[in-house]
Amino acid sequence: MISRDLVGGLAAVVIGAVYLYFAYQLRVSALDDSLGPSGMPRIYGWLLLSLGLILTAQAVLSRLIGPPPAAGREALRGEWEGQGRRIAWAAGLLAIGAAYLFVVEKLGYLVSVALLILAAATFLGARFGTRLLAIAALGAVALWAIFALVLGVSMPSGLLGRLGV
Amino acid sequence: METLVQSASYLFDLGVIIAALAGVTWGIMGGALPGISPSITMALLLPFTYTMEPMSAIVLLASTYIGAEYGGSVPAILIRTPGTNAAAATVIDGYEMNRQGKAGLALGISLYSGVLGSLFGLAMLILLSGPLSRVALAFTPPAYFALGVLGLSVIATLSGENLVKGFIAAILGLMVATIGTDPVTGGTRFTFGSSELLSGIEPVMIMVGLFAMSELLVQAGRRGEAERVTSRPRIRFPDLKLARRLAFPQSIGSVIGTFEGVMPGAGGTIASFMSYNEARRWSRRPEEFGKGSPEGIAAPETANNTVAETALVPLLSFGIPGSNSTAILLGGFLIHGIVPGPMLFQRSGEIVHGLYAGLFTATFGMLVMGMLLLPACIWLVNRPRPYLNAFIFALILSGIYSIHNSVFDLGIMMAAGAVGFFMRMLRFPFLPTVLGLVLGYLVESSFRRSLVLSGDDLLIFVNDRISLGLLTLAVLFIAGSLGKRIYDLARRRRVEAFSQGSEARE
Repeated sequence: MISRDLVGGLAAVVIGAVYLYFAYQLRVSALDDSLGPSGMPRIYGWLLLSLGLILTAQAVLSRLIGPPPAAGREALRGEWEGQGRRIAWAAGLLAIGAAYLFVVEKLGYLVSVALLILAAATFLGARFGTRLLAIAALGAVALWAIFALVLGVSMPSGLLGRLGV
Repeated sequence: METLVQSASYLFDLGVIIAALAGVTWGIMGGALPGISPSITMALLLPFTYTMEPMSAIVLLASTYIGAEYGGSVPAILIRTPGTNAAAATVIDGYEMNRQGKAGLALGISLYSGVLGSLFGLAMLILLSGPLSRVALAFTPPAYFALGVLGLSVIATLSGENLVKGFIAAILGLMVATIGTDPVTGGTRFTFGSSELLSGIEPVMIMVGLFAMSELLVQAGRRGEAERVTSRPRIRFPDLKLARRLAFPQSIGSVIGTFEGVMPGAGGTIASFMSYNEARRWSRRPEEFGKGSPEGIAAPETANNTVAETALVPLLSFGIPGSNSTAILLGGFLIHGIVPGPMLFQRSGEIVHGLYAGLFTATFGMLVMGMLLLPACIWLVNRPRPYLNAFIFALILSGIYSIHNSVFDLGIMMAAGAVGFFMRMLRFPFLPTVLGLVLGYLVESSFRRSLVLSGDDLLIFVNDRISLGLLTLAVLFIAGSLGKRIYDLARRRRVEAFSQGSEARE
């Protein structure tokens, strides 16, 4: 069974390797100090790679040297139970956020944030209806008042701006 | 004495008063919401502080921390669900008192003990932070490098069960700190042609992503009704007889809170449980603990509020955040270009004095707001989570956008949130990442400048007495932590397969 430490260790190895690749691409200049702009990044990259390997080895060895008792195996299985569903829910919420990024400057802040509250609340389990619509609209107006009126932040006007509202 | 006089002059500063009261109000409400930790409550405020005066911004964030520590006890007592990690010890006797129809008294003891703990902690903060400011002028680049290393050495105690995971998390933070302009030559690194990355990634984006956004992503998968508060208690303070009985457990909480607050990596949760245990050990009525003992509320609540103040000692004196909440506060300092540490008292003494005055105001503000806000807290705890979380999501996105009016920043924050989600899942701690992120620039720039000054002679770090002292301290810190781990491992005689979850310390 794959443990979380094994996944974490392998992820660190991959991130370390990719970072190292780009660290070695950094240009060298005659004005550089002895360590240079790529010195520390290279150290960090190698460190991450090594620590990732250590964590991976730890995870593998702990399975090989001391096989966990039945209760331990059960716990290991339980570690991943429901994680796929949690990742899917998290990805859904992230997708709503990503959609907001694409529309906020086109539709404007007020409309986008109302849609965001509506979509996120529905996605998180709220029942769609007039109550939710009212909360989304009032919530958007409240946030717009805080940021645009009280704090004086220039939020995107988008659609409403083009309509002259 | 001079510090007290200078701080007193800010007691009537309108900006400080408003920030302190607003912070403590926000903190109590945030702390009362289960799942919203003090650090998340503070992170949600962080983007708002950009447009504020530096002093007001720092007071607002620090007061939020104090308020959140009390707020956490409200659901702990009323629905047996601690609003914050540090309030977990309060559940034991607080909920029992609630079941006996004494919820108002339990909340009163929690508030009263929190105020006493905060006042004691503030006194300790002023007493301990001041003397360290005197060595400020002697700091050179090697000393700053050593200070950064000392800060990073805290990782040894913040890594939970698995030290390797803590180091990996820290290096991730150090890597993010290398993005942008090189501190010595001015060349660009890891910007991939993006002009938005030229000035690097601001810690606030990563902090809000790691703490607040990742919590929303975790909560997205949770379904089902949360427990509701059905009673409508009114806060009742202890009478003189009970107050006398509580004095000793409160003293225990204050002393343990001071010690745990000053030590990076310890924290409110540990302080609360230690205080609870010690209060039971020294109590004349130990048999009442677990069955609704007022002492069982007084000791942990005093301790976690003392920690909320004394945790600022390493931050103000050395620029080292020893907890998630102080890391967010550090973000608040950095937003305004103020670097906590040895030079803080020299360059921005007025900020420190304003902070002391603000914390004093916030402590008394907590007494008033704690009573006034109880119905609001109960209302908030009873709100359906989908609405609440959707609104928090909108607040986070709006707050981050307001910093630079940049959609790119939103993308960075959401990416940090996704990374934080997986870090939680794989049980990597957050705080080392934040430490690496905020200390990365200091460590690299000081190290390279020192080498330029010494002609690449590494002995410069040993010849500088402050540097040598700090590096020795860092080595002792790591060695002590490693020694304790080896000792624990030998006693248990088995290798822990997993490290424990993130956000161990608030």
